[in-house]
Amino acid sequence: MSRLYRLTGRFPVVVIAWRNVSRAKARSALAAAAIVIGVVAIGAIGAGGAAFKQSQFQSIQEQGATDVFVAPGIDKEPGHFDREDVKAIEETVGSAGVVATRGGEAEWVRRGDRRESVSITYMDDPRSLYTINDGAIPENWRRSIVVSNEFAQEHGLGPESRLTLALDEDTGATYRVVAVLAATQGFGSSDVYLPIEQAPAREYDQVRVRTRSVDRAESTADALRERFNDREDRLLVFELTSLVRLLKTIVNGINVFLTGLGSISLLVAGVSITNTMLMAVIKRREEIGVLRATGYGKADIVRILLVEAVILGVIGVVVGLAIAFVVASVANAIFLGDPLAFTSDSLLYLLGAAAFGILTSLIAGAYPAWRAANERPVDALRG
Amino acid sequence: MPVDDRPGDGDGNEATTGTPLISGTNVVKEYQTGGQTIRALKRIDFRIDEADSVAIVGPSGSGKSTLLNLLGLLDVPTSGEIRLRKQDVATLSDSERNRERKQTIGFVFQSYYLIPTLTALENVEMPRMLDRTPKKTRDRATELLERVGLSDRLDHAPDELSGGQKQRVAIARSLINDPELVLADEPTGNLDRDTGDQILDLFEELRAEEGVAVVMVTHDEYVAEAADRVVNLVDGTLRAPDTATRADGGHRDRE
Ligand SMILES: Nc1ncnc2c1ncn2[C@@H]1O[C@H](COP(=O)(O)OP(=O)(O)OP(=O)(O)O)[C@@H](O)[C@H]1O
Ligand SMILES: [Mg+2]
Repeated sequence: MSRLYRLTGRFPVVVIAWRNVSRAKARSALAAAAIVIGVVAIGAIGAGGAAFKQSQFQSIQEQGATDVFVAPGIDKEPGHFDREDVKAIEETVGSAGVVATRGGEAEWVRRGDRRESVSITYMDDPRSLYTINDGAIPENWRRSIVVSNEFAQEHGLGPESRLTLALDEDTGATYRVVAVLAATQGFGSSDVYLPIEQAPAREYDQVRVRTRSVDRAESTADALRERFNDREDRLLVFELTSLVRLLKTIVNGINVFLTGLGSISLLVAGVSITNTMLMAVIKRREEIGVLRATGYGKADIVRILLVEAVILGVIGVVVGLAIAFVVASVANAIFLGDPLAFTSDSLLYLLGAAAFGILTSLIAGAYPAWRAANERPVDALRG
Repeated sequence: MPVDDRPGDGDGNEATTGTPLISGTNVVKEYQTGGQTIRALKRIDFRIDEADSVAIVGPSGSGKSTLLNLLGLLDVPTSGEIRLRKQDVATLSDSERNRERKQTIGFVFQSYYLIPTLTALENVEMPRMLDRTPKKTRDRATELLERVGLSDRLDHAPDELSGGQKQRVAIARSLINDPELVLADEPTGNLDRDTGDQILDLFEELRAEEGVAVVMVTHDEYVAEAADRVVNLVDGTLRAPDTATRADGGHRDRE
């Protein structure tokens, strides 16, 4: 007696069910194919959507979703922040880092007296918001200039380049470029960065509070509003959190809707399995009657038929998951740049699709199984 | 062919010995069809003992299969009483009847009813497959197939077997649980005489060697002659057989 037989002898129901599934190959394949479609629909749409969502959040994160942007409010007199104001904000936000900046404009005096306007951000240390791509900011940053990546590329600038900026109408001062920032999709970046000492006055027009998470950004924003905007609007507090939340709701909604559509295909698969099983049960009426006559109980018949349905489901799920996995990898590659960058969300969708697939086949098999088990063997065997 | 050599198997007086394997008194079976009641069995009595060999004969529609279904616990009588050993079968639950069917009774059907997806060997094993004693079951099934002369057909699918071979597989299947009673509805109906003879010999052997009671329904006079007793059913009632010598028609004729 072979080892295989010893093993299969342990699971007679599975053996009987498997033989029945493989008997009507075409019919079984079609029923399983319906499950494949359902699983692919749910799994691929869900996982692909999750990858898309992840990519959107990544870019929002890069744009500073964990930051709170603070500007002087309409009731603020005068309309800018001074050292005292920044200190007050610092106290309110606690451990979060605070970066105060001032925006400005200047004329870039180029060769042949061509002039071009550039945007300037005055700040203590650009490294508090950006990373340096090339060059270095000296310890004592007083006179040199830092340029943004885009600006550097556009005009072929790099460390050691020089540019003359006319802050006021005529006077031009020449600055040596010391560093080029890394490219950023960041919100509120400007062409060039100068030390705050270079600003016309020691005033700031924006304070950026850096927190570690979207949730913290939101609570920080609330704390600021509570402290400063009790009666008058002294601060204009703006955070991307609410935007993130809105986007999350929209993307989730779309994803749920699409997977819902996918679920409909699984419903169709369920109907198809029920149909297949009903046909099988009717065709095998006498066979089942013989099983019953030779001592198989109703529960045994139900078990055999449910196992048959689940086998169809498992085949469908295995094939469907393989396809969904490929589709999701493609989505990952497109949205996240790495085919294997599965988010926990997308894995959950794949898992859910598998579970639904098997559950569907189980439910779909229930009625035919029940019907077959309840047929009296005398009736089944007559004629 | 069988010789009637059992003691006490004379006219109407054998009912005195021992507990019958299965017996019925005043058994009535009615079918309801479209507001109409069909009386398939009309108050009949019967008794089957260990190692009995009974042929049920009668015209079509006379209630032979109905009686066999009652003997096989596949159905319950509308009224009257059927006792398996001493147990009234009406008191058995569905699952208890199931168990009795499995342990006590083996069925052989006219159209074999082999499971097409299983091999000959697996078909024989089938009634015992759920017991999860694969080795014991396989050994016994192999032995039974050898016994019915099919040791070279173990792994053949039913559609690779001839009618007689299929019927022999079905008989082997009916014996896998060592039943005390084998019920056969026209077991030779689809077979030629030679093959039919083989089947009858097999039944006779089982009866003689293992004390298995065999009850078979047949249309064939020739087959009926092979049995120790012949029960003649006519329109739901038992009649004395035309060939009145051996059979006692189930102990007592009504009417
Ligand atoms: N399930 C049923 N519903 C209604 N009537 C039935 C049913 N089963 C049997 N009958 C009727 O009961 C009577 C006896 O039927 P049964 O099948 O026992 O006859 P039989 O002696 O086996 O006939 P045959 O030799 O043709 O097989 C017939 O009149 C038949 O029409
Ligand atoms: Mg009949």
